[in-house]
Amino acid sequence: MQSGKGEILFPIFCFSKSRKDGRELSPYFKYILGKLKWYVLIFFAALFLNFFLPRLIPGNPISALVAQMAGGGASSDVLNKLYNSYIHEFGLDHPWYVQFIDYVVKVFHGDLGTSFSLYPTKVNTILAQALPWTIALQVPSILLGWILGNILGALAAYKKGKFDGTLFPITLFVSSIPYFCFAIILLYLFGVILNILPIGGGYSMALTPTFSIVFLTDALKHYLLPFLSLLLVIIGGQAIGMREMSIYELNTDYVRYAKLLGVSDKKIIRYVFKNAMLPQITGLSISLGTMVGGALITEIVFSYPGIGTWLFNAIRQQDYPLIQGGTLVITISVLLANFLIDIVYGIVDPRIRASQLEE
Amino acid sequence: MKVKKLVAEVENLKAYYKVKGRILKAVDGVSLGLRDGEVLGIAGESGCGKSTLAMSLSGLFLPPLKYYGGKIKLKDIEISKMDRKLLRKNVLGKKISFIPQSAMNALNPTLKIRNFVIDVLKEHEPELSEEEIIDRVEERFDSLSLSKRVINSYPFELSGGMKQRVITVISTLMNPEILLADEPTSALDVSSQHQIIKLIKTLLERRIVKSVVFITHELPLLRHIADRIAIMYAGQIVERGTTSQIIFSPLHPYTKMLMSSIITPEKGMKGKELPVVSGSPPNLYEIVAGCRFAERCPYVTEECKINEIKFHKIGDREVRCLHPLTERNGINAAK
Amino acid sequence: MELLRSLIKSRKFLIGTSIFLALLLTSLIFPLVNSSDPLEMVGLLYEPPSAEHVLGTDNFGRDVLIEFIYGMKTSIFVGLVAGLIATLIGTTIGVIAGYVGRLTDNILNSTTNLFLVIPSFVILILLSSSLKSRSLLFLAIIIGITSWPWTARAVRAQTSSLRTREHINMAKLNGMNNFEIMLSEILPYVSSYIFMAFVLQVASGILSEAGLSMLGLGPSDVVSLGTMLSWALLYEAVRTGAWWAFFPPTIGISLITFSLLYMNTGMDEIFNPRLRGE
Repeated sequence: MQSGKGEILFPIFCFSKSRKDGRELSPYFKYILGKLKWYVLIFFAALFLNFFLPRLIPGNPISALVAQMAGGGASSDVLNKLYNSYIHEFGLDHPWYVQFIDYVVKVFHGDLGTSFSLYPTKVNTILAQALPWTIALQVPSILLGWILGNILGALAAYKKGKFDGTLFPITLFVSSIPYFCFAIILLYLFGVILNILPIGGGYSMALTPTFSIVFLTDALKHYLLPFLSLLLVIIGGQAIGMREMSIYELNTDYVRYAKLLGVSDKKIIRYVFKNAMLPQITGLSISLGTMVGGALITEIVFSYPGIGTWLFNAIRQQDYPLIQGGTLVITISVLLANFLIDIVYGIVDPRIRASQLEE
Repeated sequence: MKVKKLVAEVENLKAYYKVKGRILKAVDGVSLGLRDGEVLGIAGESGCGKSTLAMSLSGLFLPPLKYYGGKIKLKDIEISKMDRKLLRKNVLGKKISFIPQSAMNALNPTLKIRNFVIDVLKEHEPELSEEEIIDRVEERFDSLSLSKRVINSYPFELSGGMKQRVITVISTLMNPEILLADEPTSALDVSSQHQIIKLIKTLLERRIVKSVVFITHELPLLRHIADRIAIMYAGQIVERGTTSQIIFSPLHPYTKMLMSSIITPEKGMKGKELPVVSGSPPNLYEIVAGCRFAERCPYVTEECKINEIKFHKIGDREVRCLHPLTERNGINAAK
Repeated sequence: MELLRSLIKSRKFLIGTSIFLALLLTSLIFPLVNSSDPLEMVGLLYEPPSAEHVLGTDNFGRDVLIEFIYGMKTSIFVGLVAGLIATLIGTTIGVIAGYVGRLTDNILNSTTNLFLVIPSFVILILLSSSLKSRSLLFLAIIIGITSWPWTARAVRAQTSSLRTREHINMAKLNGMNNFEIMLSEILPYVSSYIFMAFVLQVASGILSEAGLSMLGLGPSDVVSLGTMLSWALLYEAVRTGAWWAFFPPTIGISLITFSLLYMNTGMDEIFNPRLRGE
């Protein structure tokens, strides 16, 4: 198994090994510290990409904005003035590194700029409104899907025979349907044909978000379809991975040895489940980005009021600050989730702590 | 030499692999007797069925391996047809124990030795508390001069040789009557090999285990540990005898070939004629009529290819060969 | 050759490959037989399936069947080009990192992990949203450029397990240089993994294109299955019950992905025991 070694940092980011004060850090703490340094590095890389990539493409957003705001009929003089004032407001008249530093400083102050399409609303305000919806949709579906998928996969590997034989092809087919395609099918089936669930939005237009029972049940109804469509596809994907890992683990030498010493199946299954689970944790952290991406597009299908739908609107209206703010928030969330997964992994896998010890 | 009483008897054991509708006859009618206090060596090339035999002797036939017939008698208990749950609870680890081929991966990588030992012992003696178990294990480790610290380690923190010794101790914690050792030394360096052999001898001397079946592909290795040796070829035993008989005056041409396969002959072997027999073991899916070794045998005659070869008694020795190497070795058949 | 023979024996590989080839051939041959322009308006908005338009018309009154076949061609093209680029970059980086080791590996592996953690669709959005019009080739290229880390990771793991093998030491002793060793002693041994990774990359490239199209960042010059879906959603085909506008692209994308994944599963079953047993 190749998992568990974790990422190796560039040597320059490692502290010297002999600590002068003689205090020994616990291996787990060292591991977390290493991860933390790694994620800080990625965070800055992400900031840089978020700032730099849009500027890589010729043509600048401001002229697009001006053209859009001016609509038609404005004289070129007015356009020029508008253009210059925007250039100044967005700091585009400075060299790129000044702009970048300016951008980083702003991000650290929690300022993601002003939306073009909803001028003068701040990007922060829009995203702060959208984020809870996205989190409420994604965190439970991904977590639950991961857990259920792993249990199903392990069962399929253990039971073999009929259970596995019928389940596997179905699961493979379900998991190869892209998130948003599955979402469309469910939406059409339950929302249009059967007409038992709402066809879009996070809650009924007539209601305003409050913590009343009426609103919550309404929101739950709207939640069900997007949640289910994510859950089922995630379960499928995870089950397939876990089935493979479990079959591999069930054929290992340690399982045979334990059986030959008379250890019961119940205990052996526990060993296998835990060991097959470890690569699944790493797998989750790696595929998280793809899952989140799929889930964001699922939001669009249901016009769910999360980041995905806002991103879609922002792209259609070429609202660059909102696009960049959205992508940044997504990236940071994915990084944070990955860091959390690494923390958990370090607790679960004893080899992590030892591989640090050996160094 | 006084013949000691038998602790286990195997009669015409047949265990085959069933893979995709085809049957591979890995253990095809093996009979053995295991005496109290002895080490029985079983030697043969890889693919001759010796590891399968080791597994089968435990009575636990893990798929795709299937039991096809014969008996494994442990004193009065017949274990080959025993209910699997009872077998696990009452026999495995307790009466018959096992040292697997590759110690490197035989321990669950994410489980401390301590917890594994608790799991194993609780299975057989549920009334024991964890403290009692650990006390017992520490005592055992101590008495066999293994560091107690090892108990609190994870497998990956131990060296290969140490892992193999730990496994040997774990396998014998419940004082089993029979220890099945399947190539316990083949993955180890020379000094670790010696340590394992010493450990197994100590276990026998202290009567922690009563007898050992030691399986290896290196026949000469058995000189240092086995009392008697059985040579296995193509799923069958082809020759049986005492260690010195087998090693210094083999009767079966295959036994001789196994001895010659070593690079540096040991003392007492020098100067003897060592014909090198090439080729590989036969296909166990389709077994030919007649002697299974015929294809590779330098002394083969037409007669060999007709009927299945039965055991011939030559003095106190037994061999499945129509042309045993008696004259060539100067052994008097009548003796 | 022996590999090919065992591949043909795998039912999963055969089924997957046949479905994929059938779809590919349809999308290639159909335009030769039928020269209609997929973007030509031939009817009214959302006409249900009829003898004239077997799959009805879409929101612009265009023939869905013709659009669907052209869309499939587009999607498969994007997948293949992106997969090829990702495989080329990923293999190069993976082999170098796994074989050379040390600092080079450290740097390349950290870079790979960096791009594995930063979601690739974020980079895709940032790159493509600044462009007013996006050509198909541009999309295929940026998808390829952002998805190589998966391949690099798999290839690196395989390569570093090969590094200490006997035949590589022999090659070194025989005076081969590093480049020759990577080319003749490593690549052939990891080729089955590379091909499997390529198949997955094609599938994920098709999905990425569809995802981008759903976000409104699809190719502006041609029809793809993703843009069909995007239009269907934008113009309320689902809510008005015009199933013929969104069912074909949904099934098309799912079928292509399924065929590729099934192919991959078949290959996995064949290659892995072999490689594990060595």
